[in-house]
Amino acid sequence: MRRIAPALVGLAVVVLVGAAPAVLSPFLVQFLINLFMLAVLAESWNIIGGFTGYASFGNVAFFGVGAYTTGVLLTRTALPFGLALTAGGALAMLFAAVIGMPILRLKGHYFAIATLGVAETMREVVYNLEVTGAGTGLVMPISRSPLPFFYVMLGLLVAATLVNWWLSASRFGYGLVAIREDEDAAAAMGIDTARYKTVAFALSGAFAGLTGGVFAYWITFIDPDAVFRVITTIQMIIMAVFGGMGTVLGPLLGAVVLASVSELLSTQLVALAELFNGFIIILVVLFMPRGLVDVLATRPFSLRRFADNVRAYRI
Amino acid sequence: MAILAARQVTKRFGGLAAVSGVSFDLAEGEILGLIGPNGSGKTTLVNVVSGMLPYSGGEVLFRGRSLRGLPAHAIGRLGLSRTFQVVKPFRSLTVVQNVMVGALFGARGGARDLESARWQARQVLDFVGLSHRAEAPAEGLNVPERKRMELARALAMRPTVLFLDEVMAGLNPAEIDAAVELIKRIRDGGVSLVVIEHVMKAIRSLSDRIVVLYHGEKLIEGAPSDVLGHQAVVGAYLGRRYAEQARA
Repeated sequence: MRRIAPALVGLAVVVLVGAAPAVLSPFLVQFLINLFMLAVLAESWNIIGGFTGYASFGNVAFFGVGAYTTGVLLTRTALPFGLALTAGGALAMLFAAVIGMPILRLKGHYFAIATLGVAETMREVVYNLEVTGAGTGLVMPISRSPLPFFYVMLGLLVAATLVNWWLSASRFGYGLVAIREDEDAAAAMGIDTARYKTVAFALSGAFAGLTGGVFAYWITFIDPDAVFRVITTIQMIIMAVFGGMGTVLGPLLGAVVLASVSELLSTQLVALAELFNGFIIILVVLFMPRGLVDVLATRPFSLRRFADNVRAYRI
Repeated sequence: MAILAARQVTKRFGGLAAVSGVSFDLAEGEILGLIGPNGSGKTTLVNVVSGMLPYSGGEVLFRGRSLRGLPAHAIGRLGLSRTFQVVKPFRSLTVVQNVMVGALFGARGGARDLESARWQARQVLDFVGLSHRAEAPAEGLNVPERKRMELARALAMRPTVLFLDEVMAGLNPAEIDAAVELIKRIRDGGVSLVVIEHVMKAIRSLSDRIVVLYHGEKLIEGAPSDVLGHQAVVGAYLGRRYAEQARA
């Protein structure tokens, strides 16, 4: 019974959101597609960064592999979008697994720097490949309606959230959390840490790749600078951290709040929106390192809780 | 036949031999005390046997099968568990969740779903006397409680051989007596143990045999009464001059 109530609420929300385009302006539909995209990316980052505790600063590489695989197949072959997208997700997953095997041996800052390097390298690789359109980019066939993107992104978001929920309530997820908390103890207790980390990274990469594939077709034009943007990775991280790393709904909540606020601000003043992101990082790290979900779930809501958080994270 | 047999185990860090040519047998159902001064290589030996550090030489046979080269998780799943001298709790998890990890990933016959893992973890917490703290976050435990949780996690893995690395450090005399009783009950449950401990009273009453390490080498091995009174052992702990004075 405990599981049925949240499942029903979740289903109701998805149905409601799914019906929304009928009454929303085209602008809001586009905004929601973008919001879903950021939410999937935050949820996918959460798998490796939140549950497993490996702060990847290069997840945009998987997003890019997905975007370019899908893009190349759409422009150079007659493959339908569904297959091109599947190929994009699969290749991103494979890429994450292959690249993960060596770099997941690194820890902390070293892992973060290595992932950053992978993403930057991928941009340079794409710049210099003929098949990807090099520096000039790729122009996709134009799609008539934004609705397919809306529903595919929504579907990805549901799937990514379900995977995160599964991690929170499964043996595999316990293994990842144990690795995050103490990798030596996890290994001594029988967890194949190398395999678990690689699978988590591949899962994270698969969702980022699928998102990238949808993004490419939706945005209709991709070039290396538009796809492999460091800020995209930063956004994933901020949203996951703001909402609550290692929680199921935190990254989603973080994406909804931050994307909405930043959209509102940017209609007023672009510089303000940029500043806002900076402020959010500082405030969250200082006062709610466990994220919004933790703050909302903890009652009574008190200053002491903030103080405890600050102490626990030795800031 | 010995359930665990160390053969000339050697571990060098650069030019320093932290463990050098150490051999010992652990019989089934035995408690083997492993003692020696600080820096004598006890923890390094455990780290090598449990797969946390690679060997420089020798091997360890578990039921006749060599453990050398196996990764730590594979050794854990074969039924060899350990605790850490510096405890390594999964801080953000509750006590029962910490122990569940052991049940979920330990030796064959353990739980593979969360419900039965939780049930098994509860049993183990009852056994070590920590069930009143089951739902507390691990980071809120004091040192003796953390040591107990460390022990509970290792037990939840259903080991046949268990290495305890200073689980009694920081306990008061009453708690030490309780820990000694607990370890005997673990042995009575069919587990063979290697116990590293500085508390001599506990080692004396627990151990069937004692191995003494000194500068990474096995100094002596034998029954507690023989080993603990041996002049070389007193010398290793307190200095040769003190041992000579004590004899004079």
